[in-house]
Amino acid sequence: MRRRRVCGVDELPPGAMKLVAAGKFGVGVYNVGGQLYAIANYCAHEGAPLCTGYVGGTNVHNPDRPGRLEFVRDGQIVRCPWHQWEFDVTNGRTLADSSRKIRTYRVDVTDGEVFVTA
Amino acid sequence: MTTFDTVPPDTASHTAPVTIVDTDVHPVPASPDVLKSYAPAEWVDKIWPTGRAVTPQSYFYDTPDAYKSMSMRVDSMPPGGGFAGTDPEFAAQQLLVDAGVSIAMLEPMCDHQLPQHEHVMKSTYNDWLADVWLNQNNAHGRWRGAISVSAQTPADAAREVERWGGHPYMAEVLMTPQTRGIPFGNPHFDPLYEAAARNGFPIATHLMGQTPFELIPQYPVGNPAHWHDFFASWPLLYVSHLMSLVFDGAFDRHPDLRVVFVEGGFTWAMPTMSRMDRIWEQRKADLPHVRRRPSEYVREHVRFTTQPLEEVEVGTYLEYLDMMDMGDNIMFSTDYPHWSYDSPAWAINRFPSDQRERIMKGNATELYGLPDVVGALPGERPSGGPDTA
Amino acid sequence: MKSPVIDTNVQPHFRYNAEIRKFIDPAYKTRAIPDVEQQWYQAPGGDYRADLYDGKYPGSIPETVARHLFSDGGVDYAILNPSTRGNVADYLLNSRICAAVNDWLVQRWLDADVTGRFLGTIRVNPEDPRGAVAEIERLAGHPKMVQVGVPMQSREPYGKPMFEPIWEAAAAFGLPVAVHVNGGNGVDHAPTFAGHAHTYPGYAAFMPLNYFVHLATLIVEGVFGRHPAARFVFADGGYDILTPLMWRLDTFWLSMRDQTPWVDRYPSEYLADHVRFCSSAFDGPTDPADARRWMDFTGKSDLVMYGSGYPHWSTTSPTDAVDGLDSEQREKLLWRNAAGLYSLTRLMEGSDA
Repeated sequence: MRRRRVCGVDELPPGAMKLVAAGKFGVGVYNVGGQLYAIANYCAHEGAPLCTGYVGGTNVHNPDRPGRLEFVRDGQIVRCPWHQWEFDVTNGRTLADSSRKIRTYRVDVTDGEVFVTA
Repeated sequence: MTTFDTVPPDTASHTAPVTIVDTDVHPVPASPDVLKSYAPAEWVDKIWPTGRAVTPQSYFYDTPDAYKSMSMRVDSMPPGGGFAGTDPEFAAQQLLVDAGVSIAMLEPMCDHQLPQHEHVMKSTYNDWLADVWLNQNNAHGRWRGAISVSAQTPADAAREVERWGGHPYMAEVLMTPQTRGIPFGNPHFDPLYEAAARNGFPIATHLMGQTPFELIPQYPVGNPAHWHDFFASWPLLYVSHLMSLVFDGAFDRHPDLRVVFVEGGFTWAMPTMSRMDRIWEQRKADLPHVRRRPSEYVREHVRFTTQPLEEVEVGTYLEYLDMMDMGDNIMFSTDYPHWSYDSPAWAINRFPSDQRERIMKGNATELYGLPDVVGALPGERPSGGPDTA
Repeated sequence: MKSPVIDTNVQPHFRYNAEIRKFIDPAYKTRAIPDVEQQWYQAPGGDYRADLYDGKYPGSIPETVARHLFSDGGVDYAILNPSTRGNVADYLLNSRICAAVNDWLVQRWLDADVTGRFLGTIRVNPEDPRGAVAEIERLAGHPKMVQVGVPMQSREPYGKPMFEPIWEAAAAFGLPVAVHVNGGNGVDHAPTFAGHAHTYPGYAAFMPLNYFVHLATLIVEGVFGRHPAARFVFADGGYDILTPLMWRLDTFWLSMRDQTPWVDRYPSEYLADHVRFCSSAFDGPTDPADARRWMDFTGKSDLVMYGSGYPHWSTTSPTDAVDGLDSEQREKLLWRNAAGLYSLTRLMEGSDA
């Protein structure tokens, strides 16, 4: 583990992701609505490159809505590129089963630079 | 005897032992025009839409995030452009080198509602597959192909099988299980089974989930509304066909027939065998043409591919597989490049250690007559598997 | 000491097919009704045990059935689940057939019962949800009715929304719903996923497995989630396919959750509170040495209840049903699971337990 420079903070706007060659599989650093998070590029299921998956939101049950679903948390959820498991980027946990999770890493911004400790 | 255009594999420079045989991979033509170039001219406009008509997307059930992912691995789109599975070189990189697969069985997916149209379409796919994948891009000799045939035209299917008999890289026959209400044991299929067995080709069957409603089997108690419960129940189609093969005497009529159930998983095979055995023990008089115990037919004649492997606590899973004792009947598969792909490195630990070698390569090698050594690709370690950790 | 036994699957019959007319609503008395025997798929040689063809319709004489089950068989309670006449096209007629069967069951078997050991099923027609709810409300108060009964055969799986008022009503009265392959002749789909079976064994081995589609939809459509008290009994068995298919349902939930997020737990977590099975002659490993370990998968020890299937040709004895099981599994299968489901524990504790 070491603290590594990722990029300038303006190179990582909200909605963007930078893949860092750290660890065995890489670490993805995400900007979710201005907050930065980092997760392992390795799905807890079969080891897919998680950070190549789509980022979006998810649905919760809302029986009062016509389709009974409500779309929430846009930008916070990354779906595994293989089996589409939903991961909360902010804490690395699978939405369906929170005990299934991937490693998360500390991200800090210092003097306009983004650093991840991985 | 037909002669085939193929280049003998280049194994002289660098070889690798066969460690993993992948029994389910899906190649796709680079474009409709490429595919059409292999079709008889008078059939092109009959089979494929003309003018401004398009082949519609038939999402009766949709897989997770299908609108964006198109039911593929998101990371399997070739960097040079095109749809997943259209680029043999990229497929070789991802599957043969990165994932460490030694030999892969290529099974194109296609169907058509009308019998003759379907027969011509599948023959076209066979010509395309043999040329692009098994000839032009097979210097390493690691692709094998399936001869697609229509379940609707068994006599034409038999002739198609004969056409490919002796081809060095065609290894099986491929037929849909969505047979519009005709179970596999029905004598309707006898001409096809006879030709396949005589030419040493197993009959593989592969279900298509992304398919128009007309081709989805009518579930006996009605069809679920979501892909989730629909697909969880799907192996019951294979159970139905397997029971028919046994109880309707197909294996007695065709002693050399081998059947492969692809992409249906396999853990359902154990209860199916015990159910058949129990009822056969109690109702032998109803089945005078079934000379052996049903489970014996399954062990001898039937194989199952592993994907999609279930997400179960591994100790429980290993105990179940140990109890099943079907290590001779299971063959590993990835389903590359589909979304429900199983990684070989992950999968191998899901099998009991005394079954691993047979499941990962031994059973497929024996069934398809595969070599033990293949040409290695750049970036591969001599012992097989990628150079990078 | 003899173990208590609850037989959760006994099928009583009318003495002859037309006898049902004595119980039919007068407005439907002139209607033609299918016979109870299935048009297709009758077992060659007879659907029932060979020793029961003694001039009377098998399972039609309460005294005989009582002697076979209670005196000779050592059973403490038997749950009677009669057949109706199939999913006939006229759903109102079908409901009147169900009511006639229920009235006959009450009169012939439950109210007239001197043994006190027969329990009953309220048969309803799912294709007439309002009528089904009314029938449940009519008979739920009868002290010997312990469950609601519906056919396995259906044009839509039971998790779909049109059926929900029925399950809600059953749950409100604390009645499990038993799903059972029905007799007669109805507007049904072919019984296997690959079309019709061409042999009787091909039909008999497969047909019970169709319960899984009912079960999967009950989970994925959220019926169990919305109705904590809903309980289903799959009376034809098929539980040996439960493990592989529930594993699939669990596996794909992790991928599909966002389409149906009301499913807020692994699908298999619904089984203990919502699902039971009657034992069958076709389920389980053929080698009893494997039975104990196989029964532990997916918690089946807590889900399976002894059901003889009397008077079917495949009737199983309690001894056969527990072959190879350990003592705790035996106890659960022979009576404890059923006593818990049907609230018979108090009664059982008063017996020779």
